[in-house]
Amino acid sequence: MIRFILADLRRLWLGGAVVVLLVALATALGVAVTLQERSLRLGSARAADKFDLIVGAAGSETQLVLSSIFLQAAPLPLIDGSVLTKLSADPRVDWAAPVGFGDSFAGYPIIGTTTKLVAGTTPGFAEGRMFALEGEAVLGATVNLPLGAEIKPMHGTAETGGHTHAGPAYKVTGKLRPTGTPWDRAILVPIQAVWHVHGLGEEHGHEEEHRDGDGHHHAHEGKEHHEDGETHVEGETEEHATPVAEIPAVQPAKPAFALGAASSAHIEEDHHGSIDPDALIVETFGPSTPGLPAILVKPKTIADAYRLRQEYRTGSTLGVFPGEVLTRLYATLGDAKMILSAVAAGSQGLVAAALVLVTVIHVGQRRRQIGALRAFGAPRLSVFTIVWLELFLLVALGIGIGFLIGLAAAQIGAQLFAAKSGVILPVGFTREDLRLALVFLGFAAILAAVPALLAYRQSPATALRA
Amino acid sequence: MLSLKIENLAVAFPGLTAPVLAIDHLEIAAGSGVALTGGSGSGKSTLINIIAGLERTRAGHVFWGDQNFADLSEGRRDRWRAANIGLVMQDFHLFPGLSAIDNILLPARLSRVVTADLVKRAHMLFQTVGLKRPEQHVETMSRGEMQRVAIARALLRKPGVIIADEPTASLDLESGEAVGDLLLSVAADAGSTLIVASHDPRLIERLGRRLSLKGGQIVGDTQTGEMAA
Repeated sequence: MIRFILADLRRLWLGGAVVVLLVALATALGVAVTLQERSLRLGSARAADKFDLIVGAAGSETQLVLSSIFLQAAPLPLIDGSVLTKLSADPRVDWAAPVGFGDSFAGYPIIGTTTKLVAGTTPGFAEGRMFALEGEAVLGATVNLPLGAEIKPMHGTAETGGHTHAGPAYKVTGKLRPTGTPWDRAILVPIQAVWHVHGLGEEHGHEEEHRDGDGHHHAHEGKEHHEDGETHVEGETEEHATPVAEIPAVQPAKPAFALGAASSAHIEEDHHGSIDPDALIVETFGPSTPGLPAILVKPKTIADAYRLRQEYRTGSTLGVFPGEVLTRLYATLGDAKMILSAVAAGSQGLVAAALVLVTVIHVGQRRRQIGALRAFGAPRLSVFTIVWLELFLLVALGIGIGFLIGLAAAQIGAQLFAAKSGVILPVGFTREDLRLALVFLGFAAILAAVPALLAYRQSPATALRA
Repeated sequence: MLSLKIENLAVAFPGLTAPVLAIDHLEIAAGSGVALTGGSGSGKSTLINIIAGLERTRAGHVFWGDQNFADLSEGRRDRWRAANIGLVMQDFHLFPGLSAIDNILLPARLSRVVTADLVKRAHMLFQTVGLKRPEQHVETMSRGEMQRVAIARALLRKPGVIIADEPTASLDLESGEAVGDLLLSVAADAGSTLIVASHDPRLIERLGRRLSLKGGQIVGDTQTGEMAA
C-alpha cells in the first residue's frame, strides 16, 4: 500500500509540493510567533537574572529597567549619591554598585561602574584583566575591539548628534566572557572616570580644555545651564575651587547622563573635564558621590531584597525587581502575541479550507481510479486508508517542515535581535510545542478524512462510469 | 469455476420509467464462454456491473454458484468479487508509477492476501501472458501490453469467473486479436467461466454462446459452437 501511495505521490508531485508548501508556511507563521515570543521572554528574563534589585530615582520603573539592564538610551532622573553611600554601608547588602551611562564609542555604550559589579555579574575574563586605573576599560564579549585599543568616549551616540569628548581616552585592558545579555555590548569603565569626563566628583575641571563639538559657544550653553537654578551655577563655580563637598547638592535635579537627548547633552557639555588615566580607582563612595541614574544592589538574602525594595520605594528613590517589571511587560507582550497568534490561526484556517477544496476536487478527479481499485477487489477500508494517508502524509510533512522553517525564522530573528541589543534569545522547542504539533497533526488527520470518506462512500460502478 | 443463475432481475434508475435491465431467467454453465452483445443503452454495462457485484441487486436474485449477491453487503460483495471474479476492462485501469508486476499484485496487496506463492504465481502469469520485463513501469508499455498485464492481474487469485468488458475495443486489430486469443486460452486453461461484453465479431464468434441485449432485455441467445481454446 505504501508503495502505491508513494507512486501516486510521485506522479502528483507538483500538486503535493504545493500542498506541503502551503501547510509549511502557515505552520511556520504560527510556530515562529510562539517561539519568538517565548525566546524574547526567556532571553530578557535571563538578561535580568543577575540584577537582583535596582535602585533609581523616582520615575518610570520600566524605563529604569530598560536603561540599566537593556542599556536602552533614554534620559533618566538621577538619585542622590548619598543613596549609594548608604546602600554600600547597609549590612543587608552584599554589594551595591553604581551604573552610569551616557557615553558611547563606535556604537557601543560606555558604562561606568565598579569592579564589584563586573566581578559579580559576569563569568570572568576571556582575556586581559579588570580595569585598575581610571583610564582603563573592560570590554563586553561582543565588543569588537582588541586589547590595548584606545577608546574616545562620545557623548550620546553618533546617530543622535553626540560629539566626542576632547580629552579623555580609555585603554582596553580586558575582555569579558559572554553573558548573553546586552551588557556584552558594553564598554565598562570605572564610574569615577565617567564622572571625571563629565566634570563631576573629585578633581574635575579643566574647563579651558573643553571644546564644544557642536560649535556652540560656552556662553550660549551657559544660558541653558542657568535655567537649572542658582544652586547649580554656584556649584559650577565651586567646581574649580573646592571640588569635593558641594557637588552632590547640584546633581539631583539634573537629568544628566542621558543618551541621545539633545537638551541634556547640552547641559552636560558644560561639565566636561578629563580623566587622569593613571589615577587609581577608588570604590568607596563617600559623601561627595555625584548623582547617579541607577544603583545595582546585591542583597544578602531574599528577605533582605524585599525589605530593601520596600525601603527604597519611598519619596525620591525607586527600588524595583527587574523580574517583576519584566513580568508586567510580558503581560503587554502577551496581548500582542495573542493578536499575532490569531492572525496565524486565521491563515492556518484559510489553508485548511483551501486544502479541503483541493482534495475534494482531487478525489473527484480520481473517481475512476478509486472506482477501479474497488472493482479489482481493494477493500473499502484500503481505499479510505490510501486517500487518507496520502493527504495526511503531505500535511504532516508540511507541518514538520513548517516547524523547521518557524524555528529557523525565530532563530534568524533572535540573531538579528542579539546583534542589535546583545540579548541572547534562547530559541527552542518545548513540551508545549509538542502539544501544538500533536494538535496540528490531529487536525490534519481529521482534514484528510474528508476526502477519504468521500472516496469510501463512492460506488465503484458509478465511479467507473464517470 | 462457477455457474451463474439470474432470476427476476430488474434494475431501474430513479427518473426512468422503464427498467434499464430486466431479466426473468438466465443461466450460464460453469466453465462456459459467453459473449454479450448489444448497442449502447442495451443494458450491457448494467448487466456486467450486476454480475460483477459492482452494483447492488435490489430486485431479483443473482447466484454465482450458491452465493446470492442480493444477500451480500457491499463490503462482503467486494471481498467475494476480489476472490472469485477476475475483471478485465476496456481502459485497463492500471496504475501509473507502479511496475507491471506491482500492478498485477496491487489488488491482492490491498486486500492483504499476498503470500510468497502468490508473488510466484504473479511472475508465472506475467510470462504466461507473454511479457518479459516485470519491473517495467506500465505507463511505458504499449496498449496491447497493458491489456496483457490487466489479464494477468485478473487471473492472479484463480477466479472462477472472468468478466471482460470490451477487452479489445481500445486496441489495434493485431493486438486485439492477440489479447482475444490470450483471454480465451487462459480461461480454458483455468476452466473459468468467461463472460465477455464485446463488439468485436472475431472475438464473439470464438465464444460458445452469444447473448444479445436490447432495451434491457435479452433478445437473442444463440450457441455458436465449441468454445475455441
